[in-house]
Amino acid sequence: MQIVHKTILAACVASALGAAAVPAGAADTAVAARLKELEKKLEQSMRMIEALQDKVNRLEGGAAARPGHAAADEQGARLENLERQVSQLGSGMFSRTGAEDGLPLHGFADVGMFRSGENNAVYGRGNKGFMVGSLDLYLTPQFGDRVKALVETVIEVDRDGSAVVDLERVQAGYTFSDALTAWIGRFHTPYGYWNTAFHHGAQIQTSILRPRFLDFEDKGGILPAHTVGGWLTGVLDAGPVRVGYDAYAGNAPHIEGAAPSAPSLLRMGELNMKAAGSGSHRTSSGFNAWFTPKSQSSLRLGVHGLRANVADDLGNDTRVGMLGAYGVWIDDDWEVLGEYYHFQNRDLSGGTGRRGSNAWYLQAGYNFGLATPFARLERTRLDQNDNYFASQLSGRSYDRLALGMRYELNQKSALKFELNRTRQKDLVAADGITPAPDDAFIEALMQFAIRF
Amino acid sequence: MKISPKLVAALLLAGGGALPPGAWAQQVVVIANPGVQVGAGDIGDIFLGEKQFAGSVKLVPVDNAGLQAAFLSKAMNMDANKYNGRWVKKSFRDGVNPPPLKSGDAEVTEYVKRTPGAVGYVGSVPAGVTVVNKY
Repeated sequence: MQIVHKTILAACVASALGAAAVPAGAADTAVAARLKELEKKLEQSMRMIEALQDKVNRLEGGAAARPGHAAADEQGARLENLERQVSQLGSGMFSRTGAEDGLPLHGFADVGMFRSGENNAVYGRGNKGFMVGSLDLYLTPQFGDRVKALVETVIEVDRDGSAVVDLERVQAGYTFSDALTAWIGRFHTPYGYWNTAFHHGAQIQTSILRPRFLDFEDKGGILPAHTVGGWLTGVLDAGPVRVGYDAYAGNAPHIEGAAPSAPSLLRMGELNMKAAGSGSHRTSSGFNAWFTPKSQSSLRLGVHGLRANVADDLGNDTRVGMLGAYGVWIDDDWEVLGEYYHFQNRDLSGGTGRRGSNAWYLQAGYNFGLATPFARLERTRLDQNDNYFASQLSGRSYDRLALGMRYELNQKSALKFELNRTRQKDLVAADGITPAPDDAFIEALMQFAIRF
Repeated sequence: MKISPKLVAALLLAGGGALPPGAWAQQVVVIANPGVQVGAGDIGDIFLGEKQFAGSVKLVPVDNAGLQAAFLSKAMNMDANKYNGRWVKKSFRDGVNPPPLKSGDAEVTEYVKRTPGAVGYVGSVPAGVTVVNKY
């Protein structure tokens, strides 16, 4: 009996020590409070274990006094119940708190190293070395049954190494039903799949890099990854399928920093989301509609569109019109993502008329347990006579093939490796006028991504 | 006095945050607050945050640490890693929080009884709740 007591005591002490190790990095007071709480739980556990052992003793005594199958069955059932209680007792030391116990802070962070062979007059020479990606912190407070908010801040490092704090999302919402939630604020623009599913969540994204044309506005993207405005979203039960939708409207982006040094073609503009509004208000609006068969929940197929009146510092005014489609297949083995964007942009300030462009990517990964190798092909053909693309630094066409591997260190951290070959098109020489040949280069990247 | 090796194993495994091997054979009973009208077919969507309302009632799913592995295996056809991964993505995109994790049957039962819209799961049928399904 003493051996049993020691074994149980050792298990409990191990539990307490294991749990106590969790907040090791917290402030002393928090550690002390946690330890006190654990001691209290340990005492309660010991009392309960003693009570359970008394029950075991009584059961064994009772079984001896009542021979037969019925008694044995009853004893077995009771022992099973006791085992479950004891199991739950231990598990309880690691309970996840609910909304009523405080507001949990979530986040993502990533660090790594890379080497880029890029070398051209537009984007310069590619960086090499260790790098800090971003620190993303987000909160999801709930205010009663229907009112909620999503607040996200990102601290990221620019190409020159300086840290920038970005108010990524600030959105407040009201949920009327499963079919309708209304949000207002700054949110991730719900086009396609990637932008809302992964965004700054490097740890939940299989690859290291996003498809470049879907990158953030200041990182190479050609679309407004964020919108400041209103957003309606929901999911409808339509018999054999689930149908989801997004409908949104907000401030149109403005292309800033286009460097109006004509005749130079070396435009350096970036999309600004106009989070504080603007004197000459222009609007953007869009939709996303998708469906998932209930019998095949791994599949999602959708269509999406965006329309925005976008001006730039050069006085150009363009009505951007995007329509596209996407498909996603994610099961235990495969992750296949594909998105297509077709642009039909109209020049409102000049006489260049309508210009067509397109962009797409296709990515496939296969899960071998902890390792997921993947490949992605991406391509853009962006009309350089379209002011919307010509004014943006990132508005030049390119092809890219990326190969990589994601390795799960544990549930909350992943190590990723990626190698890509990019052919950058629509380049100009240092004089900003003379067309330059394509720049084909290779990049190698490693990333350590965590979530908490 | 001779104590069951299974009991000791359960204690050791519970201390490490894992479940005893017998968990897979455990009965799982999904229960709901008496005011909730949901069916067995809704359970998966409720615990993944896809179904948040039953009529005008806001649903409040709650996890049970002692039975989670058995519940996820039997009712959701997934393991804890996949379940947590789904919730991270859901929470990040939609601002919906995952179910709170209670320590065991007693805590879950008490929570379901006192919380309108609550849906949880336990090892045996308690009084004062609606049984949604048994696995």
